[in-house]
Amino acid sequence: MRDPHDTKRPEKPGDDSPDTSDLAARIARARAAQPERKLPVDVKVPGLNGASRGYRLASEFVAAIVVGGALGYGIDFVAHTRPWAMIVLLLLGFAAGVRNIVRASAEMNKPAAPSEAAASDDETKH
Amino acid sequence: MAENPIEPIHQFQVRDIVPFGDVGGVHFGFTNSGLLMVATVIVISAIMLVPTAQRRLVPTRLQLVAEQFYSFVVDMIEASTGHEAMRFFPLIFSLFSFLLISNWLGLLPYSFTVASQVIVTSLLAALVFLTVLIYGLLRNGLGFFKLFVPSGIPWYVIWLVVPIEFISFLSRPVSHSMRLWGNMLAGHIVLAVFGGMIVGLSTIGFLGWLTAVLPLGMAVALLSLELLVGALQAFVFAVLACVYLHDAFHPAH
Repeated sequence: MRDPHDTKRPEKPGDDSPDTSDLAARIARARAAQPERKLPVDVKVPGLNGASRGYRLASEFVAAIVVGGALGYGIDFVAHTRPWAMIVLLLLGFAAGVRNIVRASAEMNKPAAPSEAAASDDETKH
Repeated sequence: MAENPIEPIHQFQVRDIVPFGDVGGVHFGFTNSGLLMVATVIVISAIMLVPTAQRRLVPTRLQLVAEQFYSFVVDMIEASTGHEAMRFFPLIFSLFSFLLISNWLGLLPYSFTVASQVIVTSLLAALVFLTVLIYGLLRNGLGFFKLFVPSGIPWYVIWLVVPIEFISFLSRPVSHSMRLWGNMLAGHIVLAVFGGMIVGLSTIGFLGWLTAVLPLGMAVALLSLELLVGALQAFVFAVLACVYLHDAFHPAH
């Protein structure tokens, strides 16, 4: 009965077995006994962070230009207005690419702001 | 494409394992790509279903892996889209686990990387794109198109901003799929180039065998990097799917 591997899930929330009834208290005691430590799960990978950010921004930028150009080419193809729609939409695609970069970098900086303010400060100082 | 196994592109060839023949001029067959997809699904099912079958309150190691896997994706969705997006948990979890496991299985020798074919990644991105589009329209009606009209823009620049936002919206699946595909393709080509270098140097003789240690070291280092890149790109793909789903819930920004 005292075997810790025997603590299966109780059938109903009400009928706690003696093994699990004081589980919360035991977990709290074990937590208090352990020294304070940071969570081991850290999503950010410091070494690859710069490169992956760079890839992300570059692909966002290029994708908008490609889509703008392709859209313009398609309109020209249908409406026989070559090359005007392609020129206009390529320029718009360029603007959309810049918009994408602004949005993506804002997204990237937003979650990093509160917890990793110190780390990003170091990065900007270089 | 040469029939030379040392060729760095050779690994991306899709070959028939069981050909089904041609239907209306389109070739069908069970390919090495399909085999790896099936293997990926089997591995994910084995990780998620077998250790959790007993539902222990005190989890075994493998059950803990499955639970962590699950709660990692839950946290990801909660952080980037919000709690109401939990109805898309199956989609996001499938995307993340499929890409993660298929990227890692693709690193095994004689294996095939599913995400190194642009058709796979672009269809996955199209799936996310269409989900956002259709669910956004169903949920918000025509209000979904507020996505293209940022608030606080004066009327005289609206006509310029709306097409830009429209192209920006259309460019999402392109960048979404290209990033994953490009990363997997580039990583595997570099790996194969260093692997080919070992074979090439070994034909020279004893001195070649000695110098072949250098590309071998690079290949080992790159393989571990590829493990990281495979996980990271699967994560990025899933996170971006969450970010795009955010727009389906809150089109006005």
